[in-house]
Amino acid sequence: MRSLTLHLKVLIAILVSLGVAITAYQIFVLGIPVTEAETDNVWNIDAKVEFQANPRNPVKVQMFVPPLGQDFVSLNESFISNNYGVSVNNVDGNRRVTWSARRAEGPQTLYYRMALTQRYTKDKPKEEGPIYRESLPLAGPEQIAAEALLAPIRQHSADVETFISETIKRVNNLGDDNVKLLLAGDTSITNRARIIDLLLSIAHVPLEKVHTIRLLENQAQSPELWLRSFNGENWLYFNPDNGQQGLPRDRLIWWLGDGELINVDGGKQAQVNFTLNTSELNAIRLAKQSDESADAGFLEYSLYGLPLQTQQTYQIMIMIPIGVLVILILRNLGGLQTLGTFTPVLIALAFRETQLGFGIVLFTLITALGLSLRSYLEHLKLQMLPRLSVVLTFVVVLIAVISLFSHKLGLERGLSVALFPMVILTMTIERLSITWEERGGGHAFKVAVGTLVAATLAHLLMSIPQLTYFIFTFPAVLLILVGFMLAMGRYRGYRLTELFRFKAFLKD
Amino acid sequence: MFGLIKTWKALEAKGIMGINRRNADYVLKYNKRSLYPVVDDKILTKERAIKAGIHVPEMYGIISTEKEIENLDQIIGEHNDFVIKPAQGAGGDGILVIADRFEGRFKTVSGKIVSRDEIEQQLSSILSGLYSLGGGRDRALIEYRVTPDPIFKSISYEGVPDIRIIVLMGYPVMAMLRLPTRQSNGKANLHQGAIGVGVDLATGLTLRGTWLNNRITKHPDTANAVDGVQLPNWDGFMKLAAGCYELCGLGYIGVDMVLDVDKGPLILELNARPGLNIQIANDCGLTHRAHAVEARLEELKAKGIQETPEQRVRFSQELFGHVKPVEL
Repeated sequence: MRSLTLHLKVLIAILVSLGVAITAYQIFVLGIPVTEAETDNVWNIDAKVEFQANPRNPVKVQMFVPPLGQDFVSLNESFISNNYGVSVNNVDGNRRVTWSARRAEGPQTLYYRMALTQRYTKDKPKEEGPIYRESLPLAGPEQIAAEALLAPIRQHSADVETFISETIKRVNNLGDDNVKLLLAGDTSITNRARIIDLLLSIAHVPLEKVHTIRLLENQAQSPELWLRSFNGENWLYFNPDNGQQGLPRDRLIWWLGDGELINVDGGKQAQVNFTLNTSELNAIRLAKQSDESADAGFLEYSLYGLPLQTQQTYQIMIMIPIGVLVILILRNLGGLQTLGTFTPVLIALAFRETQLGFGIVLFTLITALGLSLRSYLEHLKLQMLPRLSVVLTFVVVLIAVISLFSHKLGLERGLSVALFPMVILTMTIERLSITWEERGGGHAFKVAVGTLVAATLAHLLMSIPQLTYFIFTFPAVLLILVGFMLAMGRYRGYRLTELFRFKAFLKD
Repeated sequence: MFGLIKTWKALEAKGIMGINRRNADYVLKYNKRSLYPVVDDKILTKERAIKAGIHVPEMYGIISTEKEIENLDQIIGEHNDFVIKPAQGAGGDGILVIADRFEGRFKTVSGKIVSRDEIEQQLSSILSGLYSLGGGRDRALIEYRVTPDPIFKSISYEGVPDIRIIVLMGYPVMAMLRLPTRQSNGKANLHQGAIGVGVDLATGLTLRGTWLNNRITKHPDTANAVDGVQLPNWDGFMKLAAGCYELCGLGYIGVDMVLDVDKGPLILELNARPGLNIQIANDCGLTHRAHAVEARLEELKAKGIQETPEQRVRFSQELFGHVKPVEL
């Protein structure tokens, strides 16, 4: 017996910890939202391309679009263009869209739209990049100036990371004569970036230009230039303007390298405007969407992987253990008497369709009428099976009559009575009438009320949408429930009603 | 809330057994499911008892098919009184007690005249499983009608009073006399309104009683005191009950017995889930007594001794008997 108790304890511990672990994994690692109401930000980015098309010339517009599979998940992207053919291709780690048309005239407008979110990104692939490159050719005074700049940089740096930030700092010191010479009067950020690139190439440090968009709402912006270098493990990002290291989380990489954002053949005055705004999207729906586009697959093996119709069925089914738990607690802890063990759960399921108040009225009505029929049949001394068949038929007829009447009266709710489980009702009537005869009307009434109370409570609990969502999304919670049920299986304490039943002992 | 916790503590201190404890620690632990048919089917119980030499009301016959109903006359024979029972009935339902014949018809104990047709109808209902626990087909049992000993006349209303002894692994732990009342329609089931009266295990003297979960000292119909009545042949009851462990193999049972005026103590039926009201009748909890028996079993197991029913009865009587008379 003791070993059995230990066995049970271990089993309960395993089930509960398994349930907690799986649920925690789903919540904290996979980031599945805990409530259905949880929302996430979705960024909608519009890039509006405008240009003047040359008449009688074919038009070809090439524009970089963000590469997929970064820290953000693109939910959908669209290319909006009239009379233009669209193709997207990958070039050197960039994605480029090409709009083309045989003939176009006057001002042209094309749109690129993308929706993305920061959540639910799959694991990052291992990053790769060059760690060595050849020096760019340099001669004359520029070479001397570069050497002069590099000497203190070498002195002040310890590794690639510090080397780069030191270089950026030096180049941004516009008062320095060597810098002035190299910049040749052009202090634009592109030129500065060019000089940084040059200096680093002499030290054989590879460098790549990164053009980013800032996720900021309602603000006109143009791509911001960043530099990045690979240190053997990770890409290190630098702001060429101030040497700031690390790409902030709100930057979206649009394209890499020296290329221009847009390239128009057969047109002129091309310009691109970015418009950003955020919208909130229901988190679980978002998860489902990004699951498809990022093919992360973490919802694949959850109940969300089922066809929609089946999902709805399971949303009801998965709540049945909750109803059963209610019955278990009411009976074994509370001592409430109900008809049958799980009859209240089935009645609670019927309440789903009829609504609570109406359901109780219908249940009471049908049971009362059925009972009176049953007591009449009692006089006829029929055998069990024929008697049950008569009661069942009566119940069906009664349900049909109620439906008809309520329909004629314009009460559409009355039609839902058809979903009351007829067999359950019949058995309820039968059991109730036996209880009535064996233990008297008072007891039968008590049991009937107990059944209704249990069914109502189970129904109320089973129809909490948050709870339904939670259990449907984290079915491992059921393991915890099973643990509790197992523990209840060896509960020896008193039932609440027993405290009253045995009150006689305390009257001394 | 605090009142409830106090009640809980007080009940626990008194060793009152609740349904959950009874099921978890005794019924599920000591009663093997496979042995249930022995107690659920009265015919099986009877056959086992006869084989073991334990006294039961004499069986006149069994009817197991509709066809066999024709044999009724043959089974009854010359007997003027008899009882028809469903073999797997529960709570005393479906039992028909015929006390006499009356001009070709039969007369029940309460004086109601029933025709042969009605008896056949009753038999047919029993066979169809109307009164059986699972609702499946059943058999009908026709047996000797017990005439209660006149000792109960003053404290009983109609019906047959019976004696219930709770037996744990062959050790009687608590006893109760069940007296039918007007409310219980002559049936001896407590939940139908019969009275339960505690019985001292050592002496067979009755204690105070319980009626519908309350404690009482007088029979509500006859107004006679229920306590202080000496039950005759008490040791016979105790031995009969203790022997039932060997009979059915179930470790925790309620043994229902009657005292027939001619044949003495007879076993009526066994119950694998005996009720808990016996505690109120005896004003004593079952838990402490059960623990004492379990401790004794451990002790005997260590020594490798198996006690006979007589030894077990003596042990129980010494330990649980001689309850001090209650102050009123």
